[in-house]
Amino acid sequence: MKKFAILCLLFILVTTMVFAQGDKGAVAPVAEKTKLTIWGRDIPDTSADHMYVKSLIEGFQAANPDIELEYIALGDPGLADKTKIAMVANQVPEIIQSWGGSVMGGYADAGRLLDLTAEMATIPGSDAARNAMSWKGKTYGVAPFFAIAGIFANEGIFKAQGLTVPTTVSEMEKVCDALLAKGIIPFACGAKDKWPPLAMYMYLVNRVGGNAFDKAQARTLGFDSTAFIEAAKIYQKWVEKGYFGPKPLGEAYGDAQQLMATGKAAMHVTGSWMCAQYANKEFTDQTIGFYAFPVISGGVGQTTDVMGMTDIGFFATQTAASKKEAVVRFFKYAMSVEACGAEPGRICSVPGVKAPSALTGMASAVFSKAKTVQFWWDQDLAPAVTSPLNDTIQTFFLPKADVKAELVKFEALVAENMGVIKK
Amino acid sequence: MSNHSQPTIGSAIRKKTEWDRKIFVAACIFPALLFLGLFMYYPIVETFRLSFMKSSGLGPEIFVGLDNYTRLFKDPEFLAGLKNVFAWAFWSIIIQIPLAFYIAFSLTFYVNRFTKPLRIIYYLANVLPSAITAMLGKFIFSPTNGILNSLGTTLGWNWLSDLDFLGNQSLAFWSVFTIATWTYTGFPIIYLMARIEQISKDIKEAAELDGVTGWKYAFYIVLPNLTYPLTILAVLCTIGSLKLFDLPYMMTTGGPGYATVTLGITLYRHGFINWQYGKASAIGVVIFLLSLAFTIIQFSWQHKKGDGQ
Repeated sequence: MKKFAILCLLFILVTTMVFAQGDKGAVAPVAEKTKLTIWGRDIPDTSADHMYVKSLIEGFQAANPDIELEYIALGDPGLADKTKIAMVANQVPEIIQSWGGSVMGGYADAGRLLDLTAEMATIPGSDAARNAMSWKGKTYGVAPFFAIAGIFANEGIFKAQGLTVPTTVSEMEKVCDALLAKGIIPFACGAKDKWPPLAMYMYLVNRVGGNAFDKAQARTLGFDSTAFIEAAKIYQKWVEKGYFGPKPLGEAYGDAQQLMATGKAAMHVTGSWMCAQYANKEFTDQTIGFYAFPVISGGVGQTTDVMGMTDIGFFATQTAASKKEAVVRFFKYAMSVEACGAEPGRICSVPGVKAPSALTGMASAVFSKAKTVQFWWDQDLAPAVTSPLNDTIQTFFLPKADVKAELVKFEALVAENMGVIKK
Repeated sequence: MSNHSQPTIGSAIRKKTEWDRKIFVAACIFPALLFLGLFMYYPIVETFRLSFMKSSGLGPEIFVGLDNYTRLFKDPEFLAGLKNVFAWAFWSIIIQIPLAFYIAFSLTFYVNRFTKPLRIIYYLANVLPSAITAMLGKFIFSPTNGILNSLGTTLGWNWLSDLDFLGNQSLAFWSVFTIATWTYTGFPIIYLMARIEQISKDIKEAAELDGVTGWKYAFYIVLPNLTYPLTILAVLCTIGSLKLFDLPYMMTTGGPGYATVTLGITLYRHGFINWQYGKASAIGVVIFLLSLAFTIIQFSWQHKKGDGQ
């Protein structure tokens, strides 16, 4: 027993001496790299719609050797799903790519995000993009690219058929009838994926009832009120007339792009994120332009009312609380002319970045004339009602669907989750 | 003294050996038990608990009693999912099992040089990841450039090229089911072949002497001998249908409308898209209880008939 005790004491003594010596003789430690982990959507490869991410990751790493960047591409909906699970478990990386809006707001409300309001105020960018990455007055990240919805029109088809891009909905109906008569699908849509038809519905509601959505969101108007029902009826009429082709429900968003790229469809109401591909001659040999959605005679909404959303954005999480300086450097680089200049199509929210193509220039022109920018509904409403919203809109494509009944059902769900209409 | 001490030492050794054995057994069981508890039983208990809560996963949890369940049975998506999984189970039993029996019997009874390659071909789809089979399905049924659509256009068969296999509410279910039949029939074929091969040669010879050959042999001799495995397959089909998610989700995301929605898809959408963890957990509990009920039926059947039959 005695021997054991002596041995233990000796061990402690030797260990202490070794460590003490080690401490004395130690050279100044090399500064450790700050590690930032980013969860993103796209693989940083050379495809047209991934060029910005590639430039961002490679450029930032080269310019900031003291920061170790780990970028993990999770795809869509992988990024959204993994973020949700990680947020619940509170095991998140420092930075996550996001579309902002109510989903980001949910994370902010749960205290998972890092407030960077003061730091982000010094980074130049458009107000719409900044608002998209803000929630309840606090800014959590940056949105170097902002997308708006509008009409992509095949100018070659319009010219060949002697048609002009419509500025009113009644003109649009005449154009669609003329196109149908020539065997051309008026609108590519991709209703199988449920979310693509929303772009057109947002505009129709706006053009009928102005800021009806804002009121419905504020719970002073129902989603089953006149503007929503009228817009749904127009939509359904167009489906029945074949404006979306014979098989809109079987076609996914990718199919819709193919219909446009091959000149089988003449128009596509979707986000400006498609500018890179529709301007890319390897993707399509058609000449495609971008226009504001028409107005309805007697309606409230104007062509200057634009639907938009974050195209590429990032927010910081509480995991980055001790690495704020590194995160801010990353966000500044994400909003730099150098990084954004690599993007071949999207509308950039950074001043000084030129439109990379004539098509993006057209989309930017529509955006610059916007007096109000309504955030994309399914990014702005409470998550509990966003997928039911897209389900509801998909029913407009179902034969003999009672669109009013569907909207009444949706309003009941909204009332349950967001509150009843305030009298 | 020694007479008394001998049994004491012996029993002490026995006790020690017994104790060592218990430690050894516990050490063997513990890791498996730990993993099962952590990754299976705890989530089940947690799912039951959450099903009585209103929870987004991020905010506070509010106890709502049976509210999630009562709302569930008024939810058209859930009801459509419930209807679809039972329809799926029904048609699996009506179509997939007889088809599996037909192929299994053919491959067992008519043995030739094609038998082995055919066994591999039939089982291959079962081995493929469902993402691949779903992609193949979309490739076949795509409305713009799918194989069937292109075939119809090439041959001038408008009735074929006009069909919207994945976008028509009446057709979408059957389009997905066709791919599923190709995918999921491999296992029943192999299982039934093994069972058919187990039928005694004496029976086969006796049947031949009585002039019972070919499909008469299949119906009057083989089929009665396969009652038990066919029942097990039917139960497995039902349980598999209740848990169905991947193939319909990847081919149609449950649409158009709710035409191909399943309980698994409804659970995923409520939990991961709509942030309604309580409601999603309630769906999980329903799937669990239904699967449990059918598993009990399966076990009681096994117990009654004996597994070896």
